[in-house]
Amino acid sequence: MRDAAGKLLSVALVGNPNSGKSTIFNQLTGLRQKTGNFPGVTVDIKEGRLRFPSGNEALLTDLPGTYSLYPTSSDEKIVAAVLTNPVDAHYPDAIVYIADATHLEKHLLLLTQLLDLGMPVLLALNMSDMAAEVGIKVNATRLSERLGIPVVSVSGRKGENIQKLIAEIEKMLLSLPGQPRKPFYTLTEQEKYVAEAACLNLGIKNLYQGLLIAHHRSWLPFLSGPEEAILDTIVKDKDFVSLRAQVDETLDRYDRFIPIVQEAVHRPPQFPSTPTDRIDEVVTHRWLGPLVFFAVMLLIFQAIYDWSETPMNLIENGFSNLNVWLKERLPEHWTTDLLTDGILAGLSGILVFIPQIAILFFLITLLEEVGYMARVVFMFDKTMRRFGMNGRSVVSLISGGACAVPAIMSSRTIGNWKERLITTMVTPFISCSARLPVYAVLIGLAVPAHRVFGVFTLQSLTFGSMYVLGVLAAFASGYAMKKVLRTRELSYLAIELPVYRMPHWKNLWLTVWEKVSAFVIGAGKIILVISIILWALARFGPGDAMEQAVQQAQTEALARQMNETATNDLVAAYKLEASYAGFLGKMIEPVIRPLGYDWKIGIAIIASFAAREVFVGTMSTIYSIGSSEDDVALRAKMKAATFEDSGAPVYTLATALSLLVFYALAMQCMSTLAVVARETGTWKWAFIQFIYMSLLAYLGAWAVFNLFA
Amino acid sequence: MQRRYRTVPDLKVHESAHALSFEDPALASKLMAMGLLPGTLIEMVRVAPFGKAFYIKADGIRLALREEEAASILVEV
Repeated sequence: MRDAAGKLLSVALVGNPNSGKSTIFNQLTGLRQKTGNFPGVTVDIKEGRLRFPSGNEALLTDLPGTYSLYPTSSDEKIVAAVLTNPVDAHYPDAIVYIADATHLEKHLLLLTQLLDLGMPVLLALNMSDMAAEVGIKVNATRLSERLGIPVVSVSGRKGENIQKLIAEIEKMLLSLPGQPRKPFYTLTEQEKYVAEAACLNLGIKNLYQGLLIAHHRSWLPFLSGPEEAILDTIVKDKDFVSLRAQVDETLDRYDRFIPIVQEAVHRPPQFPSTPTDRIDEVVTHRWLGPLVFFAVMLLIFQAIYDWSETPMNLIENGFSNLNVWLKERLPEHWTTDLLTDGILAGLSGILVFIPQIAILFFLITLLEEVGYMARVVFMFDKTMRRFGMNGRSVVSLISGGACAVPAIMSSRTIGNWKERLITTMVTPFISCSARLPVYAVLIGLAVPAHRVFGVFTLQSLTFGSMYVLGVLAAFASGYAMKKVLRTRELSYLAIELPVYRMPHWKNLWLTVWEKVSAFVIGAGKIILVISIILWALARFGPGDAMEQAVQQAQTEALARQMNETATNDLVAAYKLEASYAGFLGKMIEPVIRPLGYDWKIGIAIIASFAAREVFVGTMSTIYSIGSSEDDVALRAKMKAATFEDSGAPVYTLATALSLLVFYALAMQCMSTLAVVARETGTWKWAFIQFIYMSLLAYLGAWAVFNLFA
Repeated sequence: MQRRYRTVPDLKVHESAHALSFEDPALASKLMAMGLLPGTLIEMVRVAPFGKAFYIKADGIRLALREEEAASILVEV
């Protein structure tokens, strides 16, 4: 179905945050949906195709949940910005309003505002099955008469009456522009003056749109500077006080629709205690609450580690087998290397994260769907706010213990821009699973296995301290950024604690699917490019340095009567030294020497930018045991290593501790940076994060080295 | 001197009172949109584990409020 200009007709889904809107959206569109960013902000708007049995099609847009057209957070603002701007790309031809039938009296405020915007509206009473269960009877016919719009009772979860809803939507679109309606709310004289003046100046027809624009003139993205100035003058001229008018309008609307609800809805007397109350007695209890939370988080953490191990190994082994297979069959040429060590290695680096991302989002969405996440926000809001974050940040930080990539993606649920940004910036400090192999090698190398206090070994204590260090760095940085960053956006807790419900599995799978594809497509491209650059740095060298290195290695191997494997390992080591990466390693040696590192560690640090775990592999190549990747052999080689100029041993306790601190604090993960850039919408924050974390790592490592040297 | 008004944080756990008015107009707009109006019966359910936030029930809906948010809601004595 198209309009006069040939544009596909569009329907917007609007509703309160807990109305079950996304379930209805998923029921209506299935997999025919995509997520797009609203320009300027990183809140997603979901769009999908709605297919009618007649063969007609329309565009369905899922706008963020909001309680009213007087928004307080950035995602709520989108709804007001779209619905007051008839030339916006997302401006709908008609609206489907989703209301929770069990709390109709709380859900009609926004509906009455939409009624005044002049476009056709359809009311879908969601959760009708639950309403019936608790004995609430809604007379849809009466409601439809009183509101003057079609009303359909549906259940998104059970899929009841979805076909009827689709038929009603088509009927509404076929009769566009619909019957003119009397406004639900009558503007006061003052409001009328302001609204009319706004309409006149902006060329807008609908009076309520004009009024909303006058209210929101300071932040509406589509207003030009002069337009805003004109509106300012009009408003000042009439002594129009926006907040007071909002409150009066809201109260007036309630006064008008509450009698309608009382007429159309019959509800039984409230039961004193519901299952939700009994669950909350435990999960938000003074000390049981936090206990339950940490148990749940431990479980998630364990799941990410445990369940992802097998699929991750499968992906990694699959790629490395494919690499070996290709290398054996393709001619020895740099294009082969590009395909195997560059592109396929990069792809493997992207795809290997999928199991962790999928598991994390499955569990987090599950907690969100059942209604538990709002309780977490309630319990930890105070603690996290001290450090510039918000109750929801707890989830991101703990997920960061597995992997920062999905953890940062999970910070989307934070409404306040500043709190979300700080969460994004500090999450990578939490020691992720990729740091573990590095810690294992270095601790095994430098920290003696003494027992302390009879139970712990010094090694396990060092391991534990690395986690503590990460948490401290995250919180301290959060505190510092809280002081530095400024935002005009007000921060409110004021959230609804929804009734506990069984999850809707289709919603869950769709969310997991959406997050995984967002990562693979969004961050994947960037990771692939960086991976190819790093490959090129290690593969090519200046002039004929590479050929010379190969010859030198072969001569030396011949002289020392080495077997084929040892020769290949030596060639690889010499080649890496002669490559641009080796060149860079030597170039940065003066910078990292104060931390106790030589150029070999420099190469490993550069290579680790692809991913931290690359450290072990790179060190193996440098110490020419590349083919074995054996921790014990590597440690033996590293222990024997000396500085080329002074002959002093490289890996003293001080160097090892300094490296540990460096790896704990430095931003050495292109995947994380790519995700930060994607989530914040600009490379600026990824860049700042990189510089900030690297500086902190450098200073920390320097301090530790000098303390122990 | 007897106080002329109380706010939500003054309520004891399981105590209820009707809301009278809101001190913070911006928050009032938000709370009213969520269904908490002057006249709504508010029940204090519990205090957050680490304090500074309240779990309240307002006419069938459950809300979490920060201390300063709760303190901006005047309730009958």
